Amino acid sequence: MSFPSDTIAALATPVGTSAIAMVRASGAQVATLATEIFGATPLPRTVRHADYRDARGQLVDDVLFTYFAAPNSFTGEDTLEISCHGNPFIVQKILEDLLARGCRAAEAGEFSKRAFLNGRMDLSQAEAVMDLIHARSERALAAANLQLRGSLGRHMNSLISQLINILAEVEAYIDFPDEDLPTADRKAVLRDLDVLTTATSRLLATCHYGQLLREGIKTVILGEPNAGKSSLLNRLVGHERALVDPEPGTTRDYLEELILAGPHALRLIDTAGLNLSPSPLEKRGIEKSLEQAAEADLFLWVIDTTRPLPVLPPVVAARLSAANTIAVFNKCDLPAVSPDLLPYNFSSVKISALTGRGLEALQAEISRLADGFKVGVGDELIAINVRHAHALEQAKQSLEAAHQKLSLGITSELVASDLRVSLDALGQISGKIDNEKILDRLFSSFCIGK
Amino acid sequence: MGASTLLLTGNIDTIAQMSCNPAIGGQAKGQIVREIDALGGEMAINTDVTGIQFRLLNESKGPAVQSPRAQCDKKAYQFRLKHTLELQPNLQVFQATVTGLIFAAGKVVGCQTSLDIEFLGQTVIITTGTFLRGLMHVGQNKNEGGRLGDFSAKSLSSSLLEAGIELQRLKTGTPPRILGRSINFTGLQEQKGDLAPTLFAFHDTRDPEDLFHVEPTGERRLGWKPGSEQISCWMTYTTPESERIVRENLHKSAMYSGEIVGVGPRYCPSIEDKFVRFADKPRHLLFLEPEGRSTNEYYINGLSTSLPFDVQVDLVHSIPGLEQAALLRPAYAVEYDFAPPTQMFPSLESRKVENLFLAGQINGTSGYEEAAAQGLVAGVNAVRKVRGENPMIIQRHEGYIGVLIDDLVTKGTTEPYRMFTSRAEHRLLFNHGSAELRLYQHSLNCNLLSLSRLGRIRQKALAIEYWENYIETMKTAGGIWAEKIRRSEPLNELPAGFLAQPKEVREETLYRVRYRGYLEREQRQIEKLKDVEKIKIPSSIDYLAIPGMRRESALKLHQFRPENLGQAARISGVNPADISILMVLIAAANRSQSRPPAAG
Repeated sequence: MSFPSDTIAALATPVGTSAIAMVRASGAQVATLATEIFGATPLPRTVRHADYRDARGQLVDDVLFTYFAAPNSFTGEDTLEISCHGNPFIVQKILEDLLARGCRAAEAGEFSKRAFLNGRMDLSQAEAVMDLIHARSERALAAANLQLRGSLGRHMNSLISQLINILAEVEAYIDFPDEDLPTADRKAVLRDLDVLTTATSRLLATCHYGQLLREGIKTVILGEPNAGKSSLLNRLVGHERALVDPEPGTTRDYLEELILAGPHALRLIDTAGLNLSPSPLEKRGIEKSLEQAAEADLFLWVIDTTRPLPVLPPVVAARLSAANTIAVFNKCDLPAVSPDLLPYNFSSVKISALTGRGLEALQAEISRLADGFKVGVGDELIAINVRHAHALEQAKQSLEAAHQKLSLGITSELVASDLRVSLDALGQISGKIDNEKILDRLFSSFCIGK
Repeated sequence: MGASTLLLTGNIDTIAQMSCNPAIGGQAKGQIVREIDALGGEMAINTDVTGIQFRLLNESKGPAVQSPRAQCDKKAYQFRLKHTLELQPNLQVFQATVTGLIFAAGKVVGCQTSLDIEFLGQTVIITTGTFLRGLMHVGQNKNEGGRLGDFSAKSLSSSLLEAGIELQRLKTGTPPRILGRSINFTGLQEQKGDLAPTLFAFHDTRDPEDLFHVEPTGERRLGWKPGSEQISCWMTYTTPESERIVRENLHKSAMYSGEIVGVGPRYCPSIEDKFVRFADKPRHLLFLEPEGRSTNEYYINGLSTSLPFDVQVDLVHSIPGLEQAALLRPAYAVEYDFAPPTQMFPSLESRKVENLFLAGQINGTSGYEEAAAQGLVAGVNAVRKVRGENPMIIQRHEGYIGVLIDDLVTKGTTEPYRMFTSRAEHRLLFNHGSAELRLYQHSLNCNLLSLSRLGRIRQKALAIEYWENYIETMKTAGGIWAEKIRRSEPLNELPAGFLAQPKEVREETLYRVRYRGYLEREQRQIEKLKDVEKIKIPSSIDYLAIPGMRRESALKLHQFRPENLGQAARISGVNPADISILMVLIAAANRSQSRPPAAG
């Protein structure tokens, strides 16, 4: 009897920040995967040092990796172990990349299960393996339930309910062509799909800590023109060159850079100056920075100490608090004209973007505030997060595909096919959704039956 | 298959009598009929030869959801099938009501009849329809029987209960029948059949002598060519007056007065239900469907009810065109026993009683097509059981018959189960034209078709493969054929060799080319599922004693007793971790026959 063997991946070391983390992948695709990522066919049982580049060719980290050829591995399958820096952000990036390359996020205890199925464990260990699967899955389930009971659950239920509504609407016209149904309202379905897609994107974006891990903490550098915002950005970026990931700036007219501050990833955004009496030319830039400020997690307010203390526009000031703002007094290498006292209770750091003075203190302060964003994470939460995000992303893509087909007037069973892929994806988070639910909805909203 | 078989029926003259409207096919059901034909069943050919109106539903949509439907001549359909049975070698037909089963050592070995004649057999198949303790309601009036004018199988239920088979009640209904010449068709909307009818049987691969194997002289004896000389159906609507009549008399309806305990189908609601549950809908569509060429009886599709007869008369007369209609038979609701289908193996053999097979409404389904499909599968498997061969199990990804049986045995049902295309995960693969190709392996393995027909199906499959490959690789002006087709670009002309192929080959080839991306996506999903389907669960397993298994899952698995891991995974409430645990346990059991694991 052969047991199924797709390629699975997961973090194999405990979750959290540590010096080294190990990501393991196991399955038939592993050798191909290693060749794709590291550019050469790996030698079995040899530790290699290499750059990890994601599918888009971006450098993620420099890592050590070891390839084990079946059956001489922990699971008895081809296995790849990747040791990277123990930073949740890096781990997340690597896991996401492995999923994007076709791996599946491992279920609780799945490596041990495979080890047993492939005869790498003694028969007497069968019960131990079952206990392990049970214990891990209970923990994972508990973590997932905790989230599903909270706002994630409410959002998930709402998404699923909306999607089932749309599916019922589409399916009714497929399964009951001979019934006296009201004329199909394509525009209404398109509108519902828009609403659902937006809600899915929003949920994807509000998986907050997950998003912070995935995309970095959105950090906006604020300040008056010439306060030294760009210099600070360059300084921070220059300091951590190992992990620079410039986003393609095609859609944005402001600078955005990814950097690491301790265990945290920051998405640094430089904005136009906050001139309170802007020239028409500056006005657009300021509107943009206000927009940015509205979505930011963390603010670095750069203040030029050689000039009088600035005043914040009320819309911006309302968003700032001690928990999310650091006042950065710049140009401390020059004689100060304004006192470093602010009418706000923000923590403050004196730096010189020019010389690099005070930068470490600033990083420590960023790290301290970023820790505050971290919600309590249980074991394996990180895996759940990758899975959630992956599933939501899949759901969203299929919704968009369905929308496109519907607006092009493509036949409705293909629209339904995309919607079902989307429903399956949501089901990966909330538990499998029975086909029967669609029929339930259909029969309650349409008078079917001759 | 050549097995020596006895068919017992309470009344030989009502073999294949359609209790509801004489229509075969429709959404998903039409595909089932073609699957039945692909497996050597008789339903498709019988429909083609006795059909009086043919329509292809969903013609504006893609091939996957297009379904043939036919209105049949009720009596012609029935008598032709009776004749077919009479001519069938190795089959003996006998009229007697089965009153009980004969058991020996936990197995069924035969049955008793009302004539006090006992019949013994190695396997027994029960197909009771709505007759098992059938009780008909017209308002407060009650009559025992499975169909108006017919009897009720009263004592068989106790024999099943005695054997440990659980029984529950279901309900269904049927509308009034009226006299055609009392209908005023002026002003009613006519619904004609298709000019080019879509037939159900695979005439392209069928043996020529097969088509008219009952009619000795072919078309001349039949009087018309299948699909020709069609008769129209007519459409009308209920009125506000109809609604008033129903509402004022609701308390007299058997269903609303609490007379009926059985659960009815949501997709086939009574007119009472329609007015109550969809109060904002001003009127309801009704079809007037002729019941045959040699009768003037019409069926009012959409007017199913259990209101008293006098109310039914007023109700019918409130409908445009039916003001003067004469009722030939009243509408009625019928309650009957069924055996919740989770008590069966996917072979349709009872888990409780060995050698006993169940098919049709006794398994909680509704519809001629669903019943015929189960009858065929149960028949094949009863023979294979006798011969010690593995049962024929059609998988969920192979066709609607697979979906039907898998749903029944793994999920069960609480209402009369009807097939919908939306129940199938892989609907896009189930276009009606591909039924023969999808089920070829089963027909071959189980010896269900003649060798010459199997050869022609094989040839068809090869031709499709060849042309699919040709179109996917050969270039024409402006690119590869296939890409032009997928971009819906105008094609000057497809290759002449291809155009010379039979219609069936051309249509299937173009479907596969045009929908390639979708079909491949479905195939990928199927491949993922296939592996777990292959892992059999030992029948000796004791779920309640498995360490680490969640109690809820253990109870569910204990109740449904899945045959393989794929089925286990489809049971709601069983999560991937439980499947993992089960997998470890099975592997341990396989590795150590001498030392079974704790739960073995």
